[in-house]
Amino acid sequence: MKILKRVLGVVLALFVAAMFLFPLLWVVLASFKTKLELLAVPPVFIFQPTLQNYINAFNSDFPMQVRNSLIIAISSTVISIILGSLTAYGFSRYAIKGSDFLQFWILSLRMLPAIAVVVPFYLVFRMLGLLDTHIALILVYCLFNISFAVWVLKGFFDEIPLELEEAAMLDGYSPPQVFLRVALPLARSGLATTAVFCLIQSLNEFLLAVSLTTRVAETAPVGLSKVQTLMGVDWGLLSAASVLFMLPIVIFTIIVRNELVRGMSFGRMK
Amino acid sequence: MTQEAMVSKRDGPATAMEAAAGFRGVWWRRLLFVPTFGLLLLLAIVPLIFSLGISLFNYSIGSKPIWVGLGNYLNMFTDPQFWLATRVTVQFTIAAVSIEVVLGILFGFVMNQRFTGMGIIRLIVFLPMMLAPLVVGLFWRFMFDQTFGIVDYLLTQIGLPAIPWLIDPFWARVAVVVVDVWQWTPFVTLLVLAGLGTVPTDLLEAATLDRASNWMKFRQIYWPYLRFPLLLALLFRSIDTLKMFDSPFILTGGGPGNYTSTLSILGYRHQIMFFNVGMAAAISWVVVIIINIVTNILVKLITPAKVGQVHTGL
Repeated sequence: MKILKRVLGVVLALFVAAMFLFPLLWVVLASFKTKLELLAVPPVFIFQPTLQNYINAFNSDFPMQVRNSLIIAISSTVISIILGSLTAYGFSRYAIKGSDFLQFWILSLRMLPAIAVVVPFYLVFRMLGLLDTHIALILVYCLFNISFAVWVLKGFFDEIPLELEEAAMLDGYSPPQVFLRVALPLARSGLATTAVFCLIQSLNEFLLAVSLTTRVAETAPVGLSKVQTLMGVDWGLLSAASVLFMLPIVIFTIIVRNELVRGMSFGRMK
Repeated sequence: MTQEAMVSKRDGPATAMEAAAGFRGVWWRRLLFVPTFGLLLLLAIVPLIFSLGISLFNYSIGSKPIWVGLGNYLNMFTDPQFWLATRVTVQFTIAAVSIEVVLGILFGFVMNQRFTGMGIIRLIVFLPMMLAPLVVGLFWRFMFDQTFGIVDYLLTQIGLPAIPWLIDPFWARVAVVVVDVWQWTPFVTLLVLAGLGTVPTDLLEAATLDRASNWMKFRQIYWPYLRFPLLLALLFRSIDTLKMFDSPFILTGGGPGNYTSTLSILGYRHQIMFFNVGMAAAISWVVVIIINIVTNILVKLITPAKVGQVHTGL
């Protein structure tokens, strides 16, 4: 009876995993199919794989779009980690007037719908001639990344024992030195985790990217969204590009797998 | 900012830091807060106020803005497209979030077992929520296709009729919910698992010895530890579905007949396709207000639940 229950549990777990894995496998499979096999009825499961879709993806605008995505995501992440770690450390170590209010305000930025800032940003960037530039998206993504970084990093700083910083103070370190030489090195895994989440969020964002870029600074999701071409939808190329775009995200997820709860719940749960 | 008014939070280092304060200390604290809040004000508050202003004008890009007061809001409230978009957004939110919570709890218990390979299974289950919603919508669109889609093929294989996904107004909405459930149930499962991890094992052992029924175990032992993570999941999921844009945009483009057009999609259309910026701003403000109301209700529910669990005030 006990063994039966155990087996049933394992089978259930495998079934759940299969449900989430199947669509991903299907798109990977599709990326290796020819045009005919992609549109075959009934769908084919076994076929001679081809790399043609990947070659096509590399010869399209896709590499440029990925480059844009990376420039924007990395720049925004670096700015957000620098500013976020300063402020998170401040909230963690100093009591400032209205600290709770300010922290809540930062949290509420997580609730801010992107559509609400699309209109004003579009007009302002248009006026400044910054539409379709990297700078526009880097700045806008900072809005979401900084607020995220402050909350999550505060949790990591709170976990550092104060005694270490006290000892450094007694050794004659100034507060900035304590921050740079004691707190930051101790929080490095937290900093890395936060950075990875900022990167993922920035790479995945779509509404602001599609509104504020047209061609030059187009990110990968924007490129992928323009599926309708004169030739119809090239599902082979789209699948290959999707797989290439998801690959780094999968690697990032493996890196931060133990901190998923914190990263996904804005640090509200540990 | 009020850095000067800072007082020491704890004894020890804070007092030592106070001692070391002086001129450089003040500058240090300014550096901690001023750049961040300066940038956030510039990026959040200024645009929001600007957008509130725009919503009072009849303004199309390229033409002169004309003051219309609440005209955009009045037009919006008499526009059937707005009410349809509101209804669709609320339908998506209620359907997707309730299914995600129920499945999330079930899958949480399934994933809470221990056996070799569970690490990999969990990783697979948590993967969807990390992917770009746009890419997820894209490959589901491929799978939902009428002629060569795998979903209809599998349905007909088990004897069910093929479904006109993405074409029929009802089934297109179901498709959007299916995709959201596929991508975001893992998030609820993740939080449920985290909650289950905090249940003390001696409580469970005692319940097993007492031969408590499964329902009793759930209600009496697991539930108190699941309440906070579930409310948190409810908060994040409701907000994210209320502002949903990416997956209906790529799956159906808001169609057929605007039946999958959410408020975010409607606002985007007014902005980018009709260049009607004033109206787009008015719609986006409605989204902000709805999300604010929902957030406040859920935060009120969360606050008593989190006492003793999380020390920072939400």
